[in-house]
Amino acid sequence: MNGEEGAGPVVWSGIIAVTCLLLVLLEHTLWLAIPFIFGTVLYYLLLAPTQRLIRAGAGQNLAALTVGGIFFAVLTLAVTIVASWTAAPDNAWQNTIGYYLEGGVAFVRNTMTLLEAKFPILAEMHLTSMVNKRFKSFTDNFAQQHLATILVGAAAWLPSLLLAPFLTFFFLRDGARFKKFLARAVPNAFFEKTLFLLHQVDQTARRYFQGLIKLTAIDTLILAFGLWAIGVSSPLVLGLISAVLAWVPFVGSIAGCIMVVVVASTDAPSNPLVAYGAIGVFIAVRLLDDFVFMPLTLGRSLQIHPLTTVLMIFVGGTLAGVAGLMLVLPLLGVVMVVGETLGRLVTNPRLRARHRNALALRTRQASIDLVA
Amino acid sequence: MIFGFLKAPAMSPRLHRLRNSSLFSSLTPLELKIVDGLMHERRYLGDEIVFDEGEEGQALYLVMSGRVLISRSRGSAFEVVAELSPGSFFGDLALLDNSPRNAQARAIDNCELAVFFRADFMALMDTDAVIGYKISLALARHIGQRLREWMSGRPQVEAL
Repeated sequence: MNGEEGAGPVVWSGIIAVTCLLLVLLEHTLWLAIPFIFGTVLYYLLLAPTQRLIRAGAGQNLAALTVGGIFFAVLTLAVTIVASWTAAPDNAWQNTIGYYLEGGVAFVRNTMTLLEAKFPILAEMHLTSMVNKRFKSFTDNFAQQHLATILVGAAAWLPSLLLAPFLTFFFLRDGARFKKFLARAVPNAFFEKTLFLLHQVDQTARRYFQGLIKLTAIDTLILAFGLWAIGVSSPLVLGLISAVLAWVPFVGSIAGCIMVVVVASTDAPSNPLVAYGAIGVFIAVRLLDDFVFMPLTLGRSLQIHPLTTVLMIFVGGTLAGVAGLMLVLPLLGVVMVVGETLGRLVTNPRLRARHRNALALRTRQASIDLVA
Repeated sequence: MIFGFLKAPAMSPRLHRLRNSSLFSSLTPLELKIVDGLMHERRYLGDEIVFDEGEEGQALYLVMSGRVLISRSRGSAFEVVAELSPGSFFGDLALLDNSPRNAQARAIDNCELAVFFRADFMALMDTDAVIGYKISLALARHIGQRLREWMSGRPQVEAL
């Protein structure tokens, strides 16, 4: 494709329209889209060891089963070890969550009081009592209004999440066969360019998801180091959860920051500087992430103009909520590659002429012994 | 059954045909099976164009059955460069870079071609250096042979 002209405004309008359409569809098929994404991330994680086993002489089936089996055995072992380390009575989790929530609320109240003392206008507005009232109404009605919805949602999501390992297994086992199957359906005239298209789509998705995994690892380590340096407890776990939350642009970062501040303020209730330090560390890591790590990992993978990227993130959020925010960029990356290549195929008169010629040859050969 | 993969795979007629090509003659049966898994099968009718001169090359073609005509334009006329039979391959320079094809390939009669895509070859070089170097060496020998023929003034199949 090198040396050819880039896609024109018509193709780009088509790319954006198709991306928006897919986002709308995505919102209605989230139960499938989310396990599909987890399955794809796992597929790209496990592809290299599976290929090594195939090169060693194992069949596709055996290689996919072995690698998938080992991965899930290691995962189960890790979860079991973590669970046994943190073994606690049944109500310990509720107590822990309640403890941290109280710590967070106390931090907000203290900050409000401090602000009222510094700025009298805020005291006149009764800021603290207003915030207290809001908190009270939220916590009093939380169980009646939201708990049932959250539990039903979690119960509905669990079976669909179990789809992810199945999808990964079949991607690993049949991925290459599926690619060949798709390529077989393409007419000879467009074959080479279509192979290149499939390769580009695969590369785009692979670079994006591998970049995402690298970015998560880097974010986890840097954030854990920063939180450890200011004395917050469980820095690695907090770093990992925040890094995974950051997969969702904007909203995920804010949720991660709130979680870190709540833990920091609960750990040191008498020293608000730890919580302010945690905010500082979080902002510094996000800035590093946005300006250094992300361009080095995800930015390079998609090669989309920064303005388009930002606009499409807003469009994704509007059309499909949090899932749209999270998925709009990889979706746009894949649609962009498909759209640009299809645009080149459709507008290439020589390829179309060769295809028409091949059809005519086929018709002639099929009817060579038929009498008119 | 579990340790079946330790045995060398049986050579199917298709693998035998692949091995008859000088490009893959040094590969073991297992390596041939891996390469075969990466290749695409295409069928062309007599007189159908495989690729055009000047088109960006993405893949190497191996003739499994039938014949292929390689020709290039000389002003308004066409010059026949070669006629390839089963076991021959063409478009080999596309495995090295994506420079434009310098001749046209057209099926003389109904033929079956095995297609080796450049990206698959590059990935193979990364994941299985032994197969990669064997194919690269065969390719280098093939290109060297053409260079010797050109220097001695003998007719030779143009590099595509």
